[in-house]
Amino acid sequence: MMSSREMGYDRAIVMYTPDGRLLQVEYASEAVKYGSLVVAIRGKDFAVCVTRTKDTDPLLDPIEKIHMIDENIGAAGAGFTGDINLLIDQARIQAQRHRLVFEDPIDVKSVVNHIGKFMYEFTRYGGVRPLGAALILIGSDKAGRHVFLLDPRGLILSGKAVAIGKNSQEATDMLRSEYKLDLSIRQALDLAMKALSKAEEKDSPVEIGIAEGPKFKKMSLDEALKLYPS
Amino acid sequence: MTTTVGIKCANGIVLASDRRASKGGMIGSKAVKKIYMLDDTKAVAIAGQLSDANYLINLVKAEAKLMEFERSFPLSVKEAAKLLSNILYSGMRSYTPFITEMLVAGVDDTGPQLFEADISGAVTEEKFTSSGSGSPMAFGVLEASYKDGLSTAEAADLAAKAVKAAMERDPNSGNGIQVLMIDEKGVEWRDFGGAQ
Repeated sequence: MMSSREMGYDRAIVMYTPDGRLLQVEYASEAVKYGSLVVAIRGKDFAVCVTRTKDTDPLLDPIEKIHMIDENIGAAGAGFTGDINLLIDQARIQAQRHRLVFEDPIDVKSVVNHIGKFMYEFTRYGGVRPLGAALILIGSDKAGRHVFLLDPRGLILSGKAVAIGKNSQEATDMLRSEYKLDLSIRQALDLAMKALSKAEEKDSPVEIGIAEGPKFKKMSLDEALKLYPS
Repeated sequence: MTTTVGIKCANGIVLASDRRASKGGMIGSKAVKKIYMLDDTKAVAIAGQLSDANYLINLVKAEAKLMEFERSFPLSVKEAAKLLSNILYSGMRSYTPFITEMLVAGVDDTGPQLFEADISGAVTEEKFTSSGSGSPMAFGVLEASYKDGLSTAEAADLAAKAVKAAMERDPNSGNGIQVLMIDEKGVEWRDFGGAQ
């Protein structure tokens, strides 16, 4: 018997396999698994995310991994860099659009819903390819501190600890067994770094994003460890 | 052709209005509602074209509800005022203005809030304010008697007094007073006089 692939169900995005799958969307999720590992943890009154920059060529500057969306929100992606940049642009535009109307920073969930909808639309039309990118957004708003995960299907998840990218399953398993409810920022950073040790890159510079109080801040590992001593 | 008054108090807000709708030289209605709740903690008092104001309130209520569903917490008073003023501004810019002026008041997580949005879309934050044709008279009373830190009960009396003064001298305000109080205890309406 021919496989779904051989039958041509992975040719067009709008075509289901007989067992109800959208292969192009699944392939996009596959692409994310080759992306760099990003780990995020939410504590009682903060959220942190950590990742390593890709630092393969000594002639090139490392590519920025954690992106500011607005003063209260940051994001990091795994997958195709171009696709990630498109999503970051969309998130930033939505954040500024909100400011134009309300003169206040946007809440995290509204950005996430907007990006989720944006990604989902790429699974519904012919002639487009689903975005080969997953995104972790962390941020602060009136409702508290948040960690959100978005995948190529347009699925939106929120949680206490998440990981995307290469070896994210191993990182998630570690987070699942070691996460505690009353982590301090330093403990969360240490746990996130431990989970990040599953990443392919072992010694490229670490980027850290922390949502604390009303703001999101980006910093290096050294700065973070100095700011939050154990 | 109205008098509306808004006062920000120590622990809540008060909105007050007269009940008269003018139709040219006639009294169109003697029991018109000029204060509307946007949700459980926010309200607007309207002056000007009733149809424009009603349309705007329905629009803002719908937009606010959709936003609340999307982000899982309600709009702040400032956000509601901004939503309203953006529609007012686009109306003015497209030469089809909404002929109305609104006082937006309520209590949110930053405490009691009072804003005024006018026909041009300008928003100002106020401790006390008045709008409509009777506002010059109402302002006289407010300027003389307003103090910081009034209780909602005291502010309700002051607001009613200000609207009453306007009703005495403004031919386009009259037929009774309606007062709305919002504080941490909830919402309370008071009616004085009105249609016979």
